[in-house]
Amino acid sequence: MKNLSEEKTADLLKEIKTEAAELPQKKRRDFMLNGLKLTAGTALATSVGKVLAGEENLPPNIPTWQKTLGRGVVSVPYGQPSKHEADLVRRTVEWLTADEIASISMTPLHKQKGIITPSGLHFERYHGGVPEVDPDDHRLIINGLVERPLILTMDEIMSFPSESHIHFLECPANGGMEWRGAQMEALQFTHGMISGSEWTGVKLSTILQEVGVKPEGKWVLAEGADAAGMTRSIPMEKAMDDAMIVFAQNGEMLRPEQGYPVRLFTPGWEGNTSVKWLRRLEVGDMPWMHREETSKYTDLLADGKARKHSYVQEVNSVITSPCPESPAKRKGIMQLEGFAWSGRGKITRVDVSLDGGVNWQQAKLKGLVLTKSMTRFSMEINWQGEPRLLQSRAIDDTGYVQPTYAQLREARGTNSIYHKNAIHTWQLNTDGTVNNVQLG
Amino acid sequence: MYNSVKKYFKVLVLATAAQGLFASTAYAQDPGHYGLGRIATEEEIAGWDIDVRPDGLGLPEGSGSVSVGEGLYEAQCASCHGLFGEGEGRWPILAGGYDTLTDDRPQKTVGSYWPYASTLWDYTRRAMPFTAPQSLTVDETYAITAYVLYLNELVEDDFVLTKENFLTVEMPNADGFFHDDRPDVKNKACMKDCKDPASIKVISTIAGVSPTEHLEEGAEEESAGEAVNEHGKQVYKQSCAVCHDHGVAGAPKTGEADAWTDRIATGIDTLAKRANEGYMGDAGMMPPKGGNMSLSDEDVTAAVEYMVEQSQ
Repeated sequence: MKNLSEEKTADLLKEIKTEAAELPQKKRRDFMLNGLKLTAGTALATSVGKVLAGEENLPPNIPTWQKTLGRGVVSVPYGQPSKHEADLVRRTVEWLTADEIASISMTPLHKQKGIITPSGLHFERYHGGVPEVDPDDHRLIINGLVERPLILTMDEIMSFPSESHIHFLECPANGGMEWRGAQMEALQFTHGMISGSEWTGVKLSTILQEVGVKPEGKWVLAEGADAAGMTRSIPMEKAMDDAMIVFAQNGEMLRPEQGYPVRLFTPGWEGNTSVKWLRRLEVGDMPWMHREETSKYTDLLADGKARKHSYVQEVNSVITSPCPESPAKRKGIMQLEGFAWSGRGKITRVDVSLDGGVNWQQAKLKGLVLTKSMTRFSMEINWQGEPRLLQSRAIDDTGYVQPTYAQLREARGTNSIYHKNAIHTWQLNTDGTVNNVQLG
Repeated sequence: MYNSVKKYFKVLVLATAAQGLFASTAYAQDPGHYGLGRIATEEEIAGWDIDVRPDGLGLPEGSGSVSVGEGLYEAQCASCHGLFGEGEGRWPILAGGYDTLTDDRPQKTVGSYWPYASTLWDYTRRAMPFTAPQSLTVDETYAITAYVLYLNELVEDDFVLTKENFLTVEMPNADGFFHDDRPDVKNKACMKDCKDPASIKVISTIAGVSPTEHLEEGAEEESAGEAVNEHGKQVYKQSCAVCHDHGVAGAPKTGEADAWTDRIATGIDTLAKRANEGYMGDAGMMPPKGGNMSLSDEDVTAAVEYMVEQSQ
């Protein structure tokens, strides 16, 4: 303020206010913030009067960040997102769980620009909090119906031949709050229990062959080193197919929230079968039917019977732009974008409807189209402010077509909690805002 | 081993045919090929292998009665699960709920839903009580399991659960599950005039159930300057919140100034001492360190300070 007289400051603020009044809300806020920064600035005294307040960084002016040196290397040894991306965070819905130790947070999908979720934004789900595992003292024991029960250190696990694969990981409760009707007013909460990563580790089949599974061994119990002692039973077919023991995610060691230093990873299957902080594998001749495969993660149907061992995450998709967090900003040509995924294989097609499912058009698949991976789709539309009911419908290479709510409810009722993969509807309003709705 | 055995022999045959050229590939399938790690001792395995299966495999020798279980349950379980298994706050309901599985709001309890008693034993042993997992002895686990079965009217009040009689316990919903048979729905990829536009009814969200603060402008600037006792908060969340968030078992609710005024007046030292050493008050009992003896005195004191900060 030292170069501005009080009178000038008052005038300037008044000017900012008048200008701002004519702008839409978001722009107005930025405008006011920039204006206030300007009054606090020190180098702008000479240009006051010539530069329109709030536009001092815009052409033809030279932006402030170009007129001073930036910070040097390793000023931030582990890089962080720009401070302007501070709202790019995981979020939770508090009432979903009794407390935040055994709880879940969701990925901000509206800002995810590719099929890889930054590791720090990967959704979280724990049943007993994040343990602080010391990798030097971590051990993996493999016992049960095996020839050579083994105990492995992290170094030993990482000395087996490793592979890297890009896959999604999804909680089977993703969207589970919407079985009875639309509840969540943000994409992050309707679909955010999914993330995509490149996972690096050892094929579980390699480890199982190293210990020598006895012929009667048909199931593998995976057990975590967390306070919940998380366990799931994995059938031998999956164990010998594409299951992995994973120690790295997106090129670095797993994040603590993702099972550091080692976890099981079962591509395409419900997330909790990818047991984190893996400390033990036991081979047996039948499933263990533990808490997370009986009381939880079973799908109660309308007739009172429940589906068990419902491992696969079936085809699902959602439009991520526009969405409630990312409304339509202008009329005209618009890139409608989204994600599709299937736990059974590759996405082969995504259709988009603008009229609530009356008519459909085929969208374009973009970037890498990989098996059991998030897959981008987009469609160019010309929006002139008409109210729209936006839907996406994905199809995978087994020919499975993403179902409607009516179809799912007819088959399962509304108490299933898990595996809700219905076609989702966003209501695009004339002012560009977007609401979560369901169609009756 | 399924296919791997078959594959192994196939590769082996190939390798032999190629005069040992591919021998290393063939032996890649051999147990012990990589020679990594060492054979786990029986003692090491026994220490970690605590899982129990529906057929009783894994149950250790031991026993526990409903009456012993009652005392243990009331001291260690009731604060979350309720005296009768009815569940406090959003903590799981353990008992009751019979014939509700087809209701609009089914209650999936041990008695109404769980197919196996072994699941209850296994989970209690590995993960309960919530703040002190794997702290129960084998006999205590039998006793608490017996008591929860009793709360569900599955055993009599004089029942003693043992390894030997475990499989005699009958679970009402044992046949309530079937193996995954999906895909159970079949949509068609219709492209044109798939439904009558006039039939579309738009049903909106129920307002107020999902967090929306972050969608509003300027939300992220909130609370940025607030200094919080992070360590105390962490300890609180992990060990104290279970009771003090909801006022379970007479615990003063964090953030409820009325409940705290008189307590704060006694001074932080007194509060910290009571929290560390345990305290029997008029409203209820504070177990030493909230039952988590792995906490240091400093941890507990930091948590008490956090609670006081939040409750003024």
